[in-house]
Amino acid sequence: MSTLHTISKSPKSQLLSECLPLVNKGDGILFIEDGVYYCANSKVSDDFESDVTWYGLKEDLDARGLKLDDIKTIKIINYQIFVEMCEEFDKVISWF
Amino acid sequence: MKFTIVVYAAPYSSQAAATAFNFSKTLLSEGHEIYRLFFFSDGAHNTNKLATVPQGETNLQASWDDLIRDYDLDSAVCVSSAIKRGIVDKQEAERHELSAVSLFESSDIAGLGQLIDAAINSDRLLNFG
Amino acid sequence: MNATQKQTFTFISRTAPYGSNRPQLCLDTALAAAVFEQQVNYLFMEDGVYQLLKNQDAEAIHTKTIGRILETLNLYGIESIYVCKESLESRGLLLGDLVIESKLTNANELKTLLNSSDTVINL
Repeated sequence: MSTLHTISKSPKSQLLSECLPLVNKGDGILFIEDGVYYCANSKVSDDFESDVTWYGLKEDLDARGLKLDDIKTIKIINYQIFVEMCEEFDKVISWF
Repeated sequence: MKFTIVVYAAPYSSQAAATAFNFSKTLLSEGHEIYRLFFFSDGAHNTNKLATVPQGETNLQASWDDLIRDYDLDSAVCVSSAIKRGIVDKQEAERHELSAVSLFESSDIAGLGQLIDAAINSDRLLNFG
Repeated sequence: MNATQKQTFTFISRTAPYGSNRPQLCLDTALAAAVFEQQVNYLFMEDGVYQLLKNQDAEAIHTKTIGRILETLNLYGIESIYVCKESLESRGLLLGDLVIESKLTNANELKTLLNSSDTVINL
């Protein structure tokens, strides 16, 4: 059973550090809304573990003027892929 | 695939209700189904038909209503969340002797059992708050 | 509803009592799941562990006292109650400070718990 975790608050929320202890190998973490600021901070994103797949929602990144072309650890996905990923993972846990 | 979408957030004061709307719209256009929309807590405000917005802004409540009617969706609002926020259908308005009906006809007042039923009968449940 | 369908619901309550309605929403939903005879796991973590402190009395702030409701969770069919060990310890609390007897659970056990759940409500 794999889980897609969505994180929707900025890093000051500490949501990622609340979420990470419960993340299993093979899970995905998707940043949406203000959660995309986690992607923008390379001090944070350089430490992203490799046994988890990391995603950022394109529409929310674009809205905030965040360009992540140089950050290879994060896959940028749009709403259509977000929906597809909900099929690929067995369940979704929202962190807000 | 059958989805249930639970919305905890009011429109306008945070992005979450709009995210839930965009996600719902996208999944429907991709050919998936929504088993139930469930509006909970401040999410109940999304079902208020008495809201108007300034010209040029999006009326999220009306957008939900359009989506629900276009796709004939099952849309439920938690009864205890709704009535304490002034979201009442005709029956609740009469029962509590209130002067207006504020719930869109496209949504129904429901108990939390409807949320549990939705979780059981959907392939995926997503929470937006 | 088809009574033969039994799923595992895990509720994560991560917020302190009274400051927001999230603990109450989480609890109400879990009670509904229990009424429908689903398998219910209830996990207190992060500031959620403060909901379990003894000697709460919320009358003066016009709210139901959550600690007192939580004392009776097992009467409502919620018997699998977990408290995150790290969350309790990092707040300087001990099991003896809490209103109910619960299992202290470490992160690895919690991962397994979530992995075996069909639906997770995280508030």
